[in-house]
Amino acid sequence: MVRLPYTTALTTLFSYGLLFAFGQLRDFFRKFVDWFKAKNVKGYAPICLGLEDFYVRRLYLRIQDCFGRPIASAPDSWFDVVERISNDNNKTLQRTSHTTRCLNLGSYNYLGFAAADEYCTPRAIESLKKYSASTCSVRVDGGTTKLHAELEELVARFVGKPAAILFGMGYVTNSAIIPCLIGKGGLIISDSLNHNSIVNGARGSGATVRVFQHNSPAHLEEVLREQIAGGQPRTHRPWKKIIVIVEGIYSMEGELCKLPEIIAVCKKYKAYTYLDEAHSIGAVGQSGRGVCELLGVDPADVDIMMGTFTKSFGSCGGYIAASKDIIQHLKHTCPAHLYATSMSPPAVQQVISAIKVILGEDGSNRGAQKLARIRENSNFFRSELKKMGFEVLGDNDSPVMPIMLYNPAKIPAFSRECLRQKVAVVTVAFPATPLLLARARICISASHTKEDLVTALDVISRVGDLVGIKYFPAEPPKIAEVGHNKLE
Amino acid sequence: MYPGVWTTYILILFFSWLLVLSVFGCTPGTAWTVVNLFHFAITYHFFHWKKGTPFADDQGMYNGLTWWEQMDNGKQLTRNRKFLIVVPVVLYLIALHTTDYQQPMLFLNTLAVGVLVVAKLPNMHKVRIFGINAEN
Repeated sequence: MVRLPYTTALTTLFSYGLLFAFGQLRDFFRKFVDWFKAKNVKGYAPICLGLEDFYVRRLYLRIQDCFGRPIASAPDSWFDVVERISNDNNKTLQRTSHTTRCLNLGSYNYLGFAAADEYCTPRAIESLKKYSASTCSVRVDGGTTKLHAELEELVARFVGKPAAILFGMGYVTNSAIIPCLIGKGGLIISDSLNHNSIVNGARGSGATVRVFQHNSPAHLEEVLREQIAGGQPRTHRPWKKIIVIVEGIYSMEGELCKLPEIIAVCKKYKAYTYLDEAHSIGAVGQSGRGVCELLGVDPADVDIMMGTFTKSFGSCGGYIAASKDIIQHLKHTCPAHLYATSMSPPAVQQVISAIKVILGEDGSNRGAQKLARIRENSNFFRSELKKMGFEVLGDNDSPVMPIMLYNPAKIPAFSRECLRQKVAVVTVAFPATPLLLARARICISASHTKEDLVTALDVISRVGDLVGIKYFPAEPPKIAEVGHNKLE
Repeated sequence: MYPGVWTTYILILFFSWLLVLSVFGCTPGTAWTVVNLFHFAITYHFFHWKKGTPFADDQGMYNGLTWWEQMDNGKQLTRNRKFLIVVPVVLYLIALHTTDYQQPMLFLNTLAVGVLVVAKLPNMHKVRIFGINAEN
């Protein structure tokens, strides 16, 4: 059951109905106009039937200038967004040569490593000169350099596990690892809002997949009990193994996982746990070690910890950290390790330098400063937005904050008006979120200064008033208490 | 699953009745008959004629099923389906009552509700009479 205010649900459903009706009307007339156009491939089946891409053609393309905006500089706290124009009502977009300098509220630049950094960038350039841009080989052939071995040890030490393995792409880390860990006869229980890479990996593994209600340890326990009692489908034999997959921070909600309770439930029923820390590694926790540190869970209790280097470390790729036996098994079976090109050496060096900065091993305390700054920035921004009356999801300390928009017309309104006022935000709609729950997702970075945040709040507040998304009453500003001192 | 879907449906019907009344300036009964007939045409087309889904992601899995058959994953007689069977019947009763059961309206309304209710019966799941609408 999706929760939102009732009148908002009515108006949003009505808007979608109207968009749908207009789309159908245009398709109807388009059928007549195209009746007389000659078809140049006779006898072949159409590539797509008219109804299949209805959503893309009639809803997404109308506002496609709000998605996929090209940028012309590094995604630092301020960046250059390329302007695009359309001559046929957004059906196609052309890039112009003009760029606008905008405040970046959309990049996953949690610790500010996305742009040139005084410690990381010289070392990345040096490794580019020494090891070249690509190893041109798979890990098992000639693609393992000293840097890869060093990073695997460093990641394992950082996360708190005995060993780690690296992959060139974060999505592939999930979708290629899960089939190696579990197969037919096993059970995967995954959170209902898990990322597409996990869903893909779970489907590809051949195991039975069950879903539990988002972040609900009680429902997880119910599902576990039911499945363990029932056993495999049809034969009712006991499951070969059970893996429960959760994420550290859910990227569309900004919520932290209820990790201690979920681990307790899994231990009780002897199920393995797989934690995807794509958004939380490096961004939360006292020393940046992720949700385990933040919520006080011993890393030894989580069987497999996965993360990506894209978000907090300013690089690309992913890792899995687990016990030595599991990593050894993965190195022998995972196709992403045996057949995919290894991570690019400058990217590896970037992660090594970034982790050293976070741990303070570069000789300065910039890491600790960055972690403190991102925590302060996130909490400040979230509390100010809530005070203004916006509906913001997510927990405190989480750098991801979605602002609810709901109505499909408010998506392009918010996005375009913010861009006009030089603030670039990312808006998300169906199918990445449920139909009625469209939102604008803000990602706070350690490289945002207080002035940047105040500018952003100002712009968002004005645009929010124009668009009408302040669904909660705003807190009245505190009147200065001058009279009280006089009574002393 | 989403709150307010039934209410939106009923509100759209009511507001379209008001719209027909104000545009054509006819009696309330004729307006209800007009609403009933348009409702028949539109819901028949979308629930029982159009097949498949508006997204390409499912690779044409549902290309042979109309939207009525896809509802609630094919489970029959769920709350949604019962509500959607009741709405045309209630519209029919309102239309007949406001036109005082007079002749051309009586026939048209009965035809509309007959076709709609028969199409929504559980026995008609995946049935194509005379092969009409059977190709993908």
